[in-house]
Amino acid sequence: MNDETRGAAGTREAAPEELSCEESLALVYEYLDGELPPDWNDAVRRHVEKCRLCYPYFDFERMFLDYVHEAGEGTERASPELERRIRDLISGETGD
Amino acid sequence: MNQASESGDDRRREFESEALPHLDALYGLALRLTGGDEPRSEDLVQDSVLKAWRSWDRFEIGTNCRAWLMTILRNTFINQYRRDSSRPSRVDFDEISEGPGAGTLYDADPEGRIFDRLVNEHVIRAIQELPDEFRVPIVLADVEGLGYQEVADTLGIPIGTVKSRLFRGRKRLQTRLHRFAEEMGYLP
Repeated sequence: MNDETRGAAGTREAAPEELSCEESLALVYEYLDGELPPDWNDAVRRHVEKCRLCYPYFDFERMFLDYVHEAGEGTERASPELERRIRDLISGETGD
Repeated sequence: MNQASESGDDRRREFESEALPHLDALYGLALRLTGGDEPRSEDLVQDSVLKAWRSWDRFEIGTNCRAWLMTILRNTFINQYRRDSSRPSRVDFDEISEGPGAGTLYDADPEGRIFDRLVNEHVIRAIQELPDEFRVPIVLADVEGLGYQEVADTLGIPIGTVKSRLFRGRKRLQTRLHRFAEEMGYLP
């Protein structure tokens, strides 16, 4: 699997009516990221909704991405020293 | 716009009240992008805020100041990163594990229970420990919510490379989270 061939959707052919599990799994992230063309998006959705193997896996990957997005924001605080330094620098550039 | 004579203090106060409330968010993004390098993150925040201040005339009050600042910080980081990373990619090709399969996090915890149990610090550590070539696309796409094309444009790499780095970076993250979960006794 290399960069350019992963995911048949990259070729922009019209999506087939039916996708296999393998084809759907190869597109899991493009599907969840909302990056597929509409016909491919629908084809993956149709497969996943009725596939008892793919459905839980796609659900798991969606939970994972939501988790990374929410947790990745973090709760770190900029130090008061950094804020003071920035305020000083801005004042210095105000020209008064 | 403002008269030069009366503008100085007003402009500065306006900038401070619009921009400085976002320092924590900027610092968090800087930490994520630099892989948790605190001094470098502080420098990055400082450089970015000063850049913003110098182009404050071009910012339209009422539009999204946080997004504007985050973009400045992202671009400042990327400019440094691209300058420093003309070195060849250090990607190794050991660890492709794809989809459901033995030994994956999904295999161990298909219902994703660990996402409720691990604390946010775990994912932050897992992200920050990723090698640059995976960490930066993951931060841009998964934390900041940029689309593939935006990530490709920002990093100056083909969209296919963005896809494969996200794929492999996400699998690495899952492997790391899996290990955290085992260490904490959440998973057998």
